[in-house]
Amino acid sequence: MIQLESITKSFLLGKETIHVLDDINLSIQEGEFVAIMGPSGSGKSTLMNIIGCLDKPSTGRYLLDGQDVSSYNDKELALVRNQSIGFVFQQFHLLPRLTAIKNVELPMIYAGISKAERHEKAERALEKMGLSDRFNYLPNALSGGQKQRVAIARAMVNNPKLILADEPTGALDTKTSMSIMNLFKELNQEGATIVVVTHEPEIAEFASRTIMVRDGFIQPSEALDRRAPL
Amino acid sequence: MSFMENLVMALNSLKTHKMRSILTMLGIVIGVAAVIIVVAIGQGGEAMLKSQFTGSANTIEVFYQPSEEEIQANPNILLQAPFKQEDIRALQQLPEVKQVVASSTTMSAARYQKDSKDISVTGINQSYLQLNDLKVESGRNFTTADFLGGRRAALISNKLKEELFKGKNPVGSIMTVANQPIEIIGVLEKPTGILSFGSMEVYLPFQTWKVVYGSSDYTQLTIQAASAEQLQTAGKKASSLLNKLHNTENSYQVINMEEISQGIGQVTQIMTLIIGSIAGISLFVGGIGVMNIMLVSVTERTREIGIRMALGATRGQVLTQFLIESMTLTLIGGIIGIFFGWGTAKIVSLFAGWPSLVSWQVVAGGVVFSMVIGMVFGILPANKASKLDPIESLRYE
Repeated sequence: MIQLESITKSFLLGKETIHVLDDINLSIQEGEFVAIMGPSGSGKSTLMNIIGCLDKPSTGRYLLDGQDVSSYNDKELALVRNQSIGFVFQQFHLLPRLTAIKNVELPMIYAGISKAERHEKAERALEKMGLSDRFNYLPNALSGGQKQRVAIARAMVNNPKLILADEPTGALDTKTSMSIMNLFKELNQEGATIVVVTHEPEIAEFASRTIMVRDGFIQPSEALDRRAPL
Repeated sequence: MSFMENLVMALNSLKTHKMRSILTMLGIVIGVAAVIIVVAIGQGGEAMLKSQFTGSANTIEVFYQPSEEEIQANPNILLQAPFKQEDIRALQQLPEVKQVVASSTTMSAARYQKDSKDISVTGINQSYLQLNDLKVESGRNFTTADFLGGRRAALISNKLKEELFKGKNPVGSIMTVANQPIEIIGVLEKPTGILSFGSMEVYLPFQTWKVVYGSSDYTQLTIQAASAEQLQTAGKKASSLLNKLHNTENSYQVINMEEISQGIGQVTQIMTLIIGSIAGISLFVGGIGVMNIMLVSVTERTREIGIRMALGATRGQVLTQFLIESMTLTLIGGIIGIFFGWGTAKIVSLFAGWPSLVSWQVVAGGVVFSMVIGMVFGILPANKASKLDPIESLRYE
């Protein structure tokens, strides 16, 4: 599903070159539930952006579902993000002036899906998230957990193969966090590949594999194939 | 993503900032309204000027301007009526001439009871009524019998009714014109428009006029051509025929309409140029206002742009979204401006008695032009939006 080969990312800061990622080799199989952990400044966000096709690596090859997306241009990457990747963010990133259902419809607008179909799919996605009575609520009128459910509905509505969650529980209390993570687990069991970036070990425990990033490297893993206790 | 979706999105986003949108539109509204008003009044004025010189029904006036020698030979020549009964009969023989309308005007005293006013008395024939719309407010108009029988009947202007009859209904009263008793059969309508001041006038059938003043000559002569194309030829033929009949060189003349319409055209062109540049400047300033607000809007919505890009919006789609938003803004402004300008032009023409013409070309031009402004001044902000880095934008607070 995801294959990163010798990925590096560096910025030019003044005259100094800063290496954020250094020779990353990583492969994630289809249907996996992977957590990426690491202290802040470790490069895990950059790694996440590259996996999410929001950023391009400086060198190296990134194969997503067999396609070499590292050679794609902006327009092709937008299509990949739209069709193959669903994003869930810490701050939810819902559009504040759109109702829950309109927010869920957004990725389908860019996918060119007709209005009626969009509406129906968005309804189904929200129903699945247990929000059937919140279709026409603005994000402001929703609780944190509900907002994140809307965001998850939006992430999965185009049936992407990969769902990327960046600190999805960072703004939620523990109880809500657990129910959100259980949702991810359900989606994973339905076949979606899920990558969660977090710095909380309890969250990482939901994943079947944890990747530790430190100073731009992936730490040799000692925690392979660990199953999270349910 | 369809155009309609972009449009709905643009309208929603403009609705969110109602006050800001309205204020931004104002520049465009004023600019477009100014153009519409000026063009409407300008075109109306041009049409009015042209119709004054050409007459509405393919008519052209023949006037008499004696040469120096003629005046020296006969100093009273200017006081004499220059058109004779025979002239009219001869003119009617010309194939291009459909009708000859002649009238005679002289100044006289009109008397009613003890009051006396100096008025202008015009003797008219029946064809005069066909070309000049004398609308009767009360009483009745002339009939064929009045013209043929030379009845002592008169139509008087509204102003004379006010001055001589102090506003009382004069229909049926007898007044004296040049010491001859005349019955008033009707009062004419007040002339409309603030530019026309009513004057004290009396109209008599020409037969009656002849009896009152003892002359069968005419002071004014207008010919009606069979068609608009023949108007100029008819005028030339008529003037040369009159010059031949009166043995004069070039005393009988018609207005050269080509020269006049050229002159009017030049004036209009200069006016259009001046007004056009003023309107252009105001629209330019309005456009800069639009650009300014769109730049603010792009900055404010940086996060929204980042989210849209993460969800799969291409740079082109973001560019289109903001471009359509600015074009919607200016288009709405333009449409409001058109209505505003059209209404103002109508009101102005209502009070000034000056026609206003809002042609569809001007309306279409206003719509297209306001959209072009939105596009031209929206391209920079839209481009800025589309060039944003999605990662930075998502982090933007």
